[in-house]
Amino acid sequence: MGIFSKLFGGKALDSIGAPVTGEAVAIKEVSDPTFGEEILGKGIAIRPTVGKVVAPCDATVDMMFETGHAVSLVADFGAEILIHVGLDTVNLKGEHYNVIAKNGDEVKKGDTLMEFDIEAITAAGYDIITPVVICNSGDYTTFETHVGAHVNAGDTVIELAK
Amino acid sequence: MKEFTYEIKDPMGLHARPAGLLVKAAAKFASTVTIAAPSGKADAKRIMAVMRLAAKQGNVLTVTCEGADEDQAAEALQAFMAENL
Repeated sequence: MGIFSKLFGGKALDSIGAPVTGEAVAIKEVSDPTFGEEILGKGIAIRPTVGKVVAPCDATVDMMFETGHAVSLVADFGAEILIHVGLDTVNLKGEHYNVIAKNGDEVKKGDTLMEFDIEAITAAGYDIITPVVICNSGDYTTFETHVGAHVNAGDTVIELAK
Repeated sequence: MKEFTYEIKDPMGLHARPAGLLVKAAAKFASTVTIAAPSGKADAKRIMAVMRLAAKQGNVLTVTCEGADEDQAAEALQAFMAENL
């Protein structure tokens, strides 16, 4: 159970903060079916207004993609989190992304993982919406999302319990 | 045990979308499915593990299926890869 856990409805919930500042929306609003149809797991998405990705909870960086467009982390409480900055942005091959964290780094909630240039990525024709997916969401019986509002990086967007 | 190899043709390699679809395809079978890439091995039913392989175009994957439905699993996954990867 993570340090940010709290008691809710008799169950201890672990929390995942927004990795970016922006507008939090339901994952179904993502036009890419890989995310919108939850092929990679349940989650939420954020339309970023600030080009910086931070650790959403205390975690270990599992894989920082070479191209910087995505990062996966394993939370100290076990959730497998994928943050994918923009859709189809694998095609940018790292352009407009500045990778800061590396594989195996133990990070604290709020630590900067990477930076990205929202304007340049948008100008290149990509949708900057950033899905935040829990790849092992099937392991959790409680999965609550907090969307439909502006969030600052670190604000709770997902709460879950096994 | 049923095994086959597949060389990745997708220029972007085994990235998020094909990885997600592959896991979905593998999850339909009771058999244990393991993917070996030059970077290591992964349980084909775990997305993070599959993505961590970071398999690239030209890499050869060895897929091993083991269990009651291994024949069907191998056949389905081979067809999946030919179509999606």
